[in-house]
Amino acid sequence: MTQPTGAQPTGDPSTQPVSTSVPPSRAPLAQDTLAAVQAALGAEHAAAWVYGLVSAFLPASFDKPIGDGAQAHRAQRDTTERLLGASGATPAPAEPAYLPPKPVTNQASALELVIGAEQDCAVAWRAVLERTDDADVRTTAALALTESAVRATRWRKAAGITPLTPALPGQP
Amino acid sequence: MSTTGSLTRRALLLATSAAAGLVGAAGLAACTPTAAAPPPPDPLAELEARALADAALARGLALVPDLAAKATVVAEARTEHARVLRAEMDRERPPKPSSSSSAATTTTQAAPTPPTDPPAAAQALLDGLTKARQEAVDVVARLPRYRAGLVGSVAAGCASLLEVLA
Repeated sequence: MTQPTGAQPTGDPSTQPVSTSVPPSRAPLAQDTLAAVQAALGAEHAAAWVYGLVSAFLPASFDKPIGDGAQAHRAQRDTTERLLGASGATPAPAEPAYLPPKPVTNQASALELVIGAEQDCAVAWRAVLERTDDADVRTTAALALTESAVRATRWRKAAGITPLTPALPGQP
Repeated sequence: MSTTGSLTRRALLLATSAAAGLVGAAGLAACTPTAAAPPPPDPLAELEARALADAALARGLALVPDLAAKATVVAEARTEHARVLRAEMDRERPPKPSSSSSAATTTTQAAPTPPTDPPAAAQALLDGLTKARQEAVDVVARLPRYRAGLVGSVAAGCASLLEVLA
């Protein structure tokens, strides 16, 4: 799991996402659901950051999957922030930086990190599935879990890592 | 005084025996199997059936040299899906000792045969996994929480297996 470095976010309250100033347009999320969705948002923030980092260590042949993955995580982050904002919650901001579990020094360690980031997202979204009864949140979580699992499999193929996929992605 | 006492005792005995009779009747009613309709099939049963069908198809394809590696990954993963789905169904509705579902599952795994038309079988496997993913996503919103997590992982697993075969 990619950990925040512990540095404080630089944003002040006036620069919080716009969505929080919008009146809630849906029922508040239950406490356990809210915590799980915030954790999944944290995993998406971390994944977006990881894609930015690994691009420096991977050859140009990886530009397309890096771009696609980064875009997908930004889109998922925005969707999740809108969901939280519409429920009257304040989306947790991204950390300024994250600490990879292992130093990234070359192509192999970069691939390992990006696969780990996708796995973290899959685990976080499966946890959301188990902590909500809301059909919309379930659908969002199931799609995010599936997309992260598929991207992880693509990266394992590219890296030549087997098995290419666990039987049950997102199962901790 | 004594009459009143005897009446009271008789009344008490009558009341007690009546109450005992009622309790007995209630007890009998509770033990008698009700003639209600059998419970509806478990919604996971369909997902399990598709997992078993995909696994059988993939085990056959694994005998085709060009497809062996990928088909084996699919066969093992779909067998695992069927196993965890069955375990969850048995947990919620324990099977009668006489009907051993695990034995039935084992017998279906016997002796895979290579497909007569490997490209058609490979396409059938792709179609099966695509349908399995969709069915799992469709059902995930309507399940209890623990099952939603499990079925979400099955959907993600099917999507990943499609990527393995791609």
